[in-house]
Order: sequence, then C-alpha cells, then structure tokens
Amino acid sequence: MDPLWTNIFRKKLAEESLAYFLKNLPIFSELSPRALTTLEELVHVRSYKAHETIFEEGDPGSGMYMIRSGSVEIYAKNEDGVDDELARLTPGDFFGETTLTAPAPRSAFARTLETTELVGLFRADILELAERKPSISSSILLGLTRVVSERLQAASLEIRRLQNQIGEHVSPESIET
Amino acid sequence: MSSSLRMSNSPQKVRGWSRGQVALAFLILSAAIACGLSIYSSASSLTGLSRAAFSVLFLPLLLSLVLSFLLDPLVTQLEKFCTRTGSIFIVYVLTLGLASLSILWMTPHWQDFWNNMGTDFPRYITQVVESLKNIVAALHDRFPMIEGYDFPLKIRIWAEQLMAAIFAQAPQSAMKVGGLMIIVPLFTFFFLRDGRKILRTCVSLAPNRQFEMVRDLSYLVSRQLSQFVRGRVLEALIIGLVVTAGLSLTDIRYAPVLGIFAGVTNLIPYIGPIIGMVPGILIAFVDLGAGGQFWWIVILYILIAQVLIDNFILIPILISRVANLHPLLVFFAIIVGGKFYGVIGMIIGVPILSVVKITLLEVRTYRRTFRLPESALESDRPH
Repeated sequence: MDPLWTNIFRKKLAEESLAYFLKNLPIFSELSPRALTTLEELVHVRSYKAHETIFEEGDPGSGMYMIRSGSVEIYAKNEDGVDDELARLTPGDFFGETTLTAPAPRSAFARTLETTELVGLFRADILELAERKPSISSSILLGLTRVVSERLQAASLEIRRLQNQIGEHVSPESIET
Repeated sequence: MSSSLRMSNSPQKVRGWSRGQVALAFLILSAAIACGLSIYSSASSLTGLSRAAFSVLFLPLLLSLVLSFLLDPLVTQLEKFCTRTGSIFIVYVLTLGLASLSILWMTPHWQDFWNNMGTDFPRYITQVVESLKNIVAALHDRFPMIEGYDFPLKIRIWAEQLMAAIFAQAPQSAMKVGGLMIIVPLFTFFFLRDGRKILRTCVSLAPNRQFEMVRDLSYLVSRQLSQFVRGRVLEALIIGLVVTAGLSLTDIRYAPVLGIFAGVTNLIPYIGPIIGMVPGILIAFVDLGAGGQFWWIVILYILIAQVLIDNFILIPILISRVANLHPLLVFFAIIVGGKFYGVIGMIIGVPILSVVKITLLEVRTYRRTFRLPESALESDRPH
C-alpha cells in the first residue's frame, strides 16, 4: 500500500487526544468524561523550544504545567550561581501545582531540555470555572488536593526520617567529640 | 563582436515567439500594471477607509461590549442548568420581553412628548429669554459697559438652531438607532458566547515567558472592568428611576423623559448630573413657577438623587475606589472625548480613561502581591 494514502486517511488516535492525556494524569484520573471535555477547553497547550526558560525563581506563580512531550529540568542556583539540578521531568509529570490555588512566587527555576509541549492550567481558569460550573471545578480541585496531600504526607515522612537520621548522628559520638 | 552578435540575435528571438506567447505576455503585463495601479490608488485611501470602518463600527462594538458585560452574570448563572448558547437565548427572550413592555409603556408618553415639544419648546425659550432680559436689564443698571452685548437674542438664536437641528436629524438618527437595534444584539450574542474564546486567543499570542502573567492579568482586569461597567449602568438606572418617581409626584410634564435624561447624563461624573438637571429645573421654573413644587424638584435633583442616593449609597456600594478618577482627569477625558467623537465621546471618554486606570492599577497590585512574601521573609530574618 502507498504510504502517502495511508497517512491521509489515518484517523487521529484516541491516545493522541488531549482528553486522553489529561485522563492519564493522577490529578485528573477520576474525572467524568464531561468534566474532561470541559477541562480540555480550559487548559492551554504551549510549545517550547529546547533550553527555553519556563519560569525563574521569584516569578509570580499562578498555575501548574503538565508535560505532554519532551523533558523539563527543575533547578536552583546555589550560592556560587551554579545550577543545581533538583529534578528531571518527563511526559506525564507535572510541576508548579502548589501555586494553582495560593498565589506565591516560584521557588525554583524550570527550563526545557529539548523541544517540549506543555499543558498549562492556571488559577484564573479554575476561578472562572468555579463561577460557571461549580461541580466540575470542585472535582478538579479535589483531584488536585488529593495529589498535593499525598506529596505533603510523603514529605513529612521524609522529614521525620531525616530528623531521626540526624538524631542518630548527633547523639553519642558528637557529644564525645 | 560577440556582444553585437547577441544583440542582433535577441530581436530575432522575440520575433520567434508564437502568437499565443505574445498574447500571454501582454495579458500578464497588463494585469500586473492594473494590479499595481489599483493597489496604489487604494493604498492612498486605505487610511480613510479604515477610519470610516472604525467610526461606523466603534459605537455598535462599544454598546455590545457594555451589554455583554451587563448580561454575562445572568448568562453564567443560567449556564449551570443548560448550555451557554441556550442560556443566552433565554436571557435574550427575557430582555426582549422587558424591552417591548417598556416600549409599550413609553410609546404614549413619547408621542405626547414629541407632539408637545414643537409647541412647548419655543414657549420655554421665550420664558427663559424673558427672565434673562430682566436679569440683563438689572445688570445693565449696575455695569453699563456690557450694554453692547445682546445676550437674550444670542440665546434665542442658538436655541432655535438647536431645535431645528433636532427636528431635522430625528429621522436620520431613527435610522441609525434602527441599524443599531439589529447590529448590537448580534454582536452581543457573539461576545457573550465566544467572549472567553476571543480573550483566550488574544492571550495565547503572548510569548511563553510572559504568558502566565498575561493570563492572570487578563482575568483580573476583565473582572474589574465588568464590575465597573455593571456598577455605572446600574447607578444610572437607579438615578433615572428615582428622578422619574420624584418628578411624577409633582405636576411637571415629561417626567419619564426627564428621568431618562438624568439617568443617561449621570454616566458622566461631576458634569453629567448638572447637565441632567438643567432641563428639569428649567421646565419646572417655567411651568410651575418658583413655588413649593419647584423647590421640591430642585431638592430632588440635587439633594435626594445626587447627594443622598448617588454619593452616600450607590457610589460606595457599586463603584470601587479603584475606578474613581481625579476631577481634573475627568474634565480632560470629557474635553478630549468631545473633541474626537462629539457627545458620544464625552460620555465614553471617562469610562475609557477608567479602563486605562484599572488596568494600570491591577498590574501594580499584581506585581506587589508577588513581591510581598519576599519582603516579609526579609523582615522576618534575624538582623
């Protein structure tokens, strides 16, 4: 078969649609199809070149980004001004979700590592939706709260573990020295 | 040698073109010249064309924007139960019903007004001129140097010109209003249905780095703007109703028309209310004399409508402090607006200036919001 013709008549696969991508994210996994269609109209798809800055530390943060394709590096600058990589994110990952509900400055830098497509969801969109369709916006916010609290729990467990480690290190040896 | 050979060769080559090729070349050349000429001639009138298009579309676009700001909360409330297009239709049917009811109520008054206007207006002018004559005579006694000026005659001539202009332009403006009645609902429908999409498309043009901030600001500014427009129109409506109700208590004629006039002029801050009360007070003075009813009308216009209801109740509730402008700026806006677009410019000059101010202030507060946590952090640090 001529590859030219197969390409023309090929239908867009369900896996390529924005709704399918959103459905597979942990935040939106429990949304109804109707809520997903609304969400599809709400988010902003943005394409970035390789090594493009997404945001810098201290920028006004007002929403979260989800990676549809490509990869993103989250980093901080240490005291000498050298980039210190905190995380490397790949498709399906998301970042910046803490500023979605509470306005705060960004706490780290983010830049793309290759040509990347990001899906943005911002506070203004959620607030607008809350007026128009309260039930859908609350189900989106519930998903967000679930993910944020899971992360918070993981973080507090980590803090306790680290505290215990420090306690072990500090206790007998440090007193002797 | 070789060049002369080539030169002698080239005409032969032209002669060697077939008739079809020559015809095609001729057609292409003439088409190119015609295109060039038409582009050149239209380019010179392009600015005129765009200016004409702008002046034709400006008023309907502005009115539709204001209307869509007004109807949007209603549509949003209804959208919880059905689709957006459906809720717009419901709102349209409701608005149409209300409008036709108010037109039914207004028509007899309006006809009455129009019939009486022809006879009453000259009578009012004569009365005003008479009383002015008395004042001028008194002034002449005290200041003999102004004897050369004939104020009453000038006012009479000016008023007669105004009246003639109103009567002559009435059919023309009726045509314009008719056109607006078709265009404005159509534009409003699309603004209501696709307004969010239009804003989204505009926002998506922002570069990646500024996109997030532009999205946030567009939301904040449009929210402030819709509140401002809604507040102003509601304020004008309530003032119009209060004046109409207050005037209906007296024997004054044209109470509804005067009420509408006071409401519309109330859209202009500071100057509007004064313009709005002039015809009412003049008519009251001429028809009712300087009696109790006249003073009631003066009190109604100044104390009840302006001071009590507008300044103490409506403005603090409806208009946020953000949108308030310095009186000097208001005068500038009115003068510049009047220079560009006449009476309509005078009405819309102030809101447009308010829009600019709201935008600038929102940008400032936005930036400050995000600077606050850092400065708070710094102040928390041990010194």
